[in-house]
Amino acid sequence: MKVTYNWLKEYVNIPLTTEELAEKLTRSGFEVEEICYQNQHLHDVVVGKILKIEKHPQADRLVVCQVDIGDKTTQIITAATNVFEGAVVPVSLPGADLVNGVKIQPTKMRGVESNGMFCSGEELGIDENYFEGAGVNGILILPSDMKIGEPIEKALSLDDVVLDVYITPNRPDCLSVIGLAREIGAILGDKPKKVNLSYPIDIYSKDTVHDYIEVDNQTENCPRYCMGAVKDVKIERSPLWMRARLNAVGIKPINTIVDITNYVLVEMGQPLHAFDQALIDGKQINVRQAKEGEKIEALNGVTYNLDGKDIVIADKDKPMVIAGIIGGTNSCINDNTKTVVLESAVFDLKSVRSSSRKYGIRTDSSARNEKGINLASAEDGLLRALALVSKLKCGKVVRGIIDKARGENKARQLVGSVKFINQILGIEIPASVMSKILNNLGIENKVNGDRLECIIPPYRQDIENNNDLAEEIIRLYGYDVYDKTDGVLFKNSPVTESVPNVRYNLERKYRNMLVQEGFYEIMTFTFGSNDFVKRLMLSDERANPIKISNPLGENFAYMRTTMLSSMLQTATYNLSVGNKEMRLFECGKVYLSKGDNLKNLANEPNMLAMLVSEDGFDFFNFKNVIENLLGAYGEVKLERSKEPYLHPGISADIFVAGQKIGHFGKLHPSVIRSYELPANSYYGEICTSLLISLPEKKIELKQVSKFPNVARDLAVVVDEEVEAGAMVDAIKSACGNLYFDCSLFDVYRSDALGKGKKSLAFNIILSDLNKTLTDEEIARVMNKVLKALSYRFGAVLR
Amino acid sequence: MEQELKKIKFEAGEAIEKVEDKKSLAELKLSYLGKSGKLTAILKGMRDVPSEDRPRIGALVNEVRTFVEEAFSAKEQEFLQKELEEKLQNEKVDITLPSKGTKRGALHPVTSMTDRLVDICVNLGFSVVEGPEIESDYYNFEAVNTPKSHPARDMQDSFYFTDNVLLRTQTTAVQARAMETMKPPFKIIVPGKTYRNDSDATHSPMFNQLEGLVVDENVSMADLKNMLSIMMKRLFGEDTRVRFRPSYFPFTEPSIEVDVSCPQCHGKGCKLCKSTGYLELLGAGVVNPKVLDFNGINSKKYKGFAFGIGIDRASMLFTGNTDMRSLFKNDVRFLKQSR
Repeated sequence: MKVTYNWLKEYVNIPLTTEELAEKLTRSGFEVEEICYQNQHLHDVVVGKILKIEKHPQADRLVVCQVDIGDKTTQIITAATNVFEGAVVPVSLPGADLVNGVKIQPTKMRGVESNGMFCSGEELGIDENYFEGAGVNGILILPSDMKIGEPIEKALSLDDVVLDVYITPNRPDCLSVIGLAREIGAILGDKPKKVNLSYPIDIYSKDTVHDYIEVDNQTENCPRYCMGAVKDVKIERSPLWMRARLNAVGIKPINTIVDITNYVLVEMGQPLHAFDQALIDGKQINVRQAKEGEKIEALNGVTYNLDGKDIVIADKDKPMVIAGIIGGTNSCINDNTKTVVLESAVFDLKSVRSSSRKYGIRTDSSARNEKGINLASAEDGLLRALALVSKLKCGKVVRGIIDKARGENKARQLVGSVKFINQILGIEIPASVMSKILNNLGIENKVNGDRLECIIPPYRQDIENNNDLAEEIIRLYGYDVYDKTDGVLFKNSPVTESVPNVRYNLERKYRNMLVQEGFYEIMTFTFGSNDFVKRLMLSDERANPIKISNPLGENFAYMRTTMLSSMLQTATYNLSVGNKEMRLFECGKVYLSKGDNLKNLANEPNMLAMLVSEDGFDFFNFKNVIENLLGAYGEVKLERSKEPYLHPGISADIFVAGQKIGHFGKLHPSVIRSYELPANSYYGEICTSLLISLPEKKIELKQVSKFPNVARDLAVVVDEEVEAGAMVDAIKSACGNLYFDCSLFDVYRSDALGKGKKSLAFNIILSDLNKTLTDEEIARVMNKVLKALSYRFGAVLR
Repeated sequence: MEQELKKIKFEAGEAIEKVEDKKSLAELKLSYLGKSGKLTAILKGMRDVPSEDRPRIGALVNEVRTFVEEAFSAKEQEFLQKELEEKLQNEKVDITLPSKGTKRGALHPVTSMTDRLVDICVNLGFSVVEGPEIESDYYNFEAVNTPKSHPARDMQDSFYFTDNVLLRTQTTAVQARAMETMKPPFKIIVPGKTYRNDSDATHSPMFNQLEGLVVDENVSMADLKNMLSIMMKRLFGEDTRVRFRPSYFPFTEPSIEVDVSCPQCHGKGCKLCKSTGYLELLGAGVVNPKVLDFNGINSKKYKGFAFGIGIDRASMLFTGNTDMRSLFKNDVRFLKQSR
């Protein structure tokens, strides 16, 4: 919220600079986000009067002016055509640094000296709404009664400082000048000044507000509706001081009545609405719920179709305002307005909020209404507006106001505990200090032993318990008290046990293992486009990604159902910037619908995904990575995978303890084509959520033989379809007790072997615990092995 | 004979000293100790020595032989040593050539920051707890004192799936779940992804938070300060200070923003901290008793405090990274820097 330093000073003594004030506000919970000095670009600009204009001897388009700048006369050359002898104009002198970046210094123009420049409104940062003449294409001609030589910031009332203060949602009472002034008073230990709410009434005039308007408040959603009337209205430019303040806080000055409503909005935090009384049919205001399908053309030019949840201010038949949000064109103030009725009301914040959301309209008025306005403010706001009408002499205030209220906000009693508050804070603040702080905040209180008996004013709806009191006390007492409190940690509480998170720990182990294997960890957006469903040829539950209803865009609308989708995006990005080789992994979730429209939320299994795109990397390199990762589990089996996005011949599903926990392999050529990946690209994933429920292998250490092992190589020819894994199993069982190890060390194909045949060479290691094996024993075992291979796989010794 | 022996000893000593290569040494050795060598010849002559002189001459012969043999052996050793040294000289590798084998990859900067924070907290007695990212409005907002139409909802624009299901905007959602199921006293941290509907240089629609919650009979704002002070010291170094500023969150009361002394200039003021000496890094506060009661924990008996830290931002401060978007772009050239 923007407020000005001078406006605040009107309501509270501030013996501080703006910087000091900003620091104090920030330290007590009102962060000052920006300080803006209006005069930043107005120094060395003064009011001057053109005494004499002569033609430039060397240039047709230039004139030489003698200018009175108060303490002296100076010579200025200009090309402007709207100047004349006797004109009062803004003069920027050497040293000036204007808002458009122009810096002024003495210069010679075609041989003639010029000691400054006349300014346009634009060069001073103001427009026609702010000051008459500021919008013309030329020099700003000032009123002739301005004091010559006066600094322009004074003459144009541009000498204030604007503070942009962040008001937290719990403090709607500070969304106004007086609210913030009250808070500053509390911080500085001073009481704010009262707002002038009084105005004279023409005692000879007999008419009252009821002669102009009647109000029927028909909806529960309007707890208070006040209305006053002003006759003989003069719609004109409001005085400079009022325009200056509105302009400073970013509100465009329009005319007296509209400016007053805006002024009260900023000053009191009370939104007002002004109607042209002549445009209200039947002199009747109905505050009611909108009828289904009712239409209103709002001041923003848009026509809205209303429904029963909206509150409207209507006359006999037509809605004139979407209550608390925006007015309609059918009843607004215009140049012909003679009589004005002013609304100052409080509407149900939830209703205003939902209507404002529904239609996407946010106004200064809705912003305040949806945060909650104190009921007392409706009357004060109206009286303040009427007082301003009177002050500006822009109309005659009619006797009386209409006040349709349903209940009132009352001051509440709250009993706090000094001890409890100190327990919350963990420090010792004396009761007397607490009492004084609360008192400064307008919370009357009495200390009664441990009891802190408080009267909470109606505008502080946010204070409900000891914690709220503790916050009020500590933020004004000063958080810097904690700068010195460090000591024993948790000195008043027992030790708590840190329970290991099995999944997080497992994932962390895997992350570190993969880093050693040369992988880079990535972190990708979990949502994206749904084009992956088609491109990865998915047809199971992964084909129906969950959709965000208000995404950043269609390309960010769907939750991923496979890690591969976001991983491929990363790969594509890296390829596009020339990173051709990559080993990537990511730990994250996929999001699967349970098919119940998210009634029971979603399935969110944790996955570990790996992508490799690297020359020379093959299935067996990947297999090694998988085996190393899963080394802690006993039974790791591979079966041919049917994953649609993997190469059917070069991929495998991974089973641990009989459960499928993942898959890996070369990416399907169609996927590689679709994503324009290098031909040698591999992907694999493991579901870590599943893995943590499976048993790790128990390590039992057996004694090894004292005698050396015996190694024998065996090469056999088999049909192409025979899988090496099964042959190793057969060798193992054929060796019986003497088996120690067996590994495949060569696969060989040739014309000599014949088509559809391959030769596999195994290295078999035998061991006996009790003796050195004899040649006969070894020969017997090898024979048995060969027989088994021949019987089960049709193997022939090569 | 005696004379001769002494002569041989002297001559051999001189000759061995002068030899310059292995081959000449071998020839020289042969000429003394070979089958027809000078010393061998003398030994053969021992038969002719009178028996009374034998012990004396014999001792002398032995002495000379030992001397000659040792002199040859020493010289041989010298040549071998020299040869080895030459060989070693020639076997030198360029140790600056690149290493072989698989090159290490790297963790993502965000997870490596998460691990740091988790380690610090786990050592202080916290348990790591997790929750769903697709979350109900109830846990994300209502159970943490942010009912529908609460003005604080403006602080967070959410991604919705249905009216009541959204991507969690804060790991605070897990607080409510934990309070429902865990018995105090407990200390938990919740690291995880969170989502808000905005995107620019300093905001990413997906970001990472770590939330901490302590519920116990006697914990206070002072404990919170103490705890965060230790946490930030372990993260950024012993001379780190933390500072509290009042703020507002619906689920804590009092609520604070926590500034940490700038890790780059140690509070002196620099570009990173915009000359303030401090950086805003955490939100925290005493758990609002309404939240405790709402989730079934008696606020008359128990108190709590909570804190939340933006992991991405902490990682950026730690590594001097200035663009949050770079964290989720995953350019390998960027990631390689943390190797």
